[in-house]
Amino acid sequence: MKETRTLIVDDSTVMRKIVERSLRQAGLDPLVVYEAGSGTEGLEVLKTKKVDLILSDINMPLMDGLEFLRQLRAQDLATGVPVVMITTESSEEHVKQAIQAGAQGYIRKPFTAEQVKERVLPLVNAI
Amino acid sequence: MAESLREYLHLVSDPKSLDASVEEVFQLMLGVNCQRVPGPIADDPESVTAMVGFGGLLSGACVFKSGSSAAMKIAAQMTGMEFATVDDTVKDGIGEICNMLAGAWKGKVPELAAHCGLSIPAVVTGRDYELRVLSPEFKLHHSYSFKETAFTVAIICDGLK
Repeated sequence: MKETRTLIVDDSTVMRKIVERSLRQAGLDPLVVYEAGSGTEGLEVLKTKKVDLILSDINMPLMDGLEFLRQLRAQDLATGVPVVMITTESSEEHVKQAIQAGAQGYIRKPFTAEQVKERVLPLVNAI
Repeated sequence: MAESLREYLHLVSDPKSLDASVEEVFQLMLGVNCQRVPGPIADDPESVTAMVGFGGLLSGACVFKSGSSAAMKIAAQMTGMEFATVDDTVKDGIGEICNMLAGAWKGKVPELAAHCGLSIPAVVTGRDYELRVLSPEFKLHHSYSFKETAFTVAIICDGLK
């Protein structure tokens, strides 16, 4: 079975581990995870690694998740790779901004593994 | 765009929203049920405080505070790891709990969710310190417990447009 190479961008190391655990519980196996603590770090990872899926927080220091999305497009990085935002920001405006910036999905924190499965698996299966 | 949240003050300051937010975060992220307990909790000399600021039509902060042993138990429940000290992972976990509490609380009122931003969490550890806020617009300060562990969560609003 083909592995799913996933970039998780979140300034919280604990949250990156929880997201990884949720992906495994959702059945994404085998899974290869790359981690980044900010949008800036995420862009650096993508310059050297190919990924199949990106999960990103929005509120982060240095470069937030929305700017990270814009930079992905501007720098032609990870073209065609689905991006799902995982964030505490839940207003319609934030969802709209994320979709406009190129996100394919949105998960609000706190979340369950089931929610991750529902939002992420269809995107991975469509690759 | 809403220019004022004043007409929603009764919703924004509803104590039930805070209880529901705590229950939601702890149930979904830690798999535990929290119970609100009356009055203040016993002071632990070593404590951990996380703060997430609100900005926009409402300014203030969400403040989580617990003793160091409670913070380690919460971080252990989140990560599946064990902790003997309040290390960076514990601080990170408590900061993220506070972040989710702030997000869940403001999400209870759509007008608040849309017009109030969150800061990055800040975490303070140490002993014998107190948080002082001058004349807040309103303040919710509740104590909770789970598995013989207690903590407090406060919503402090020092400005409402």
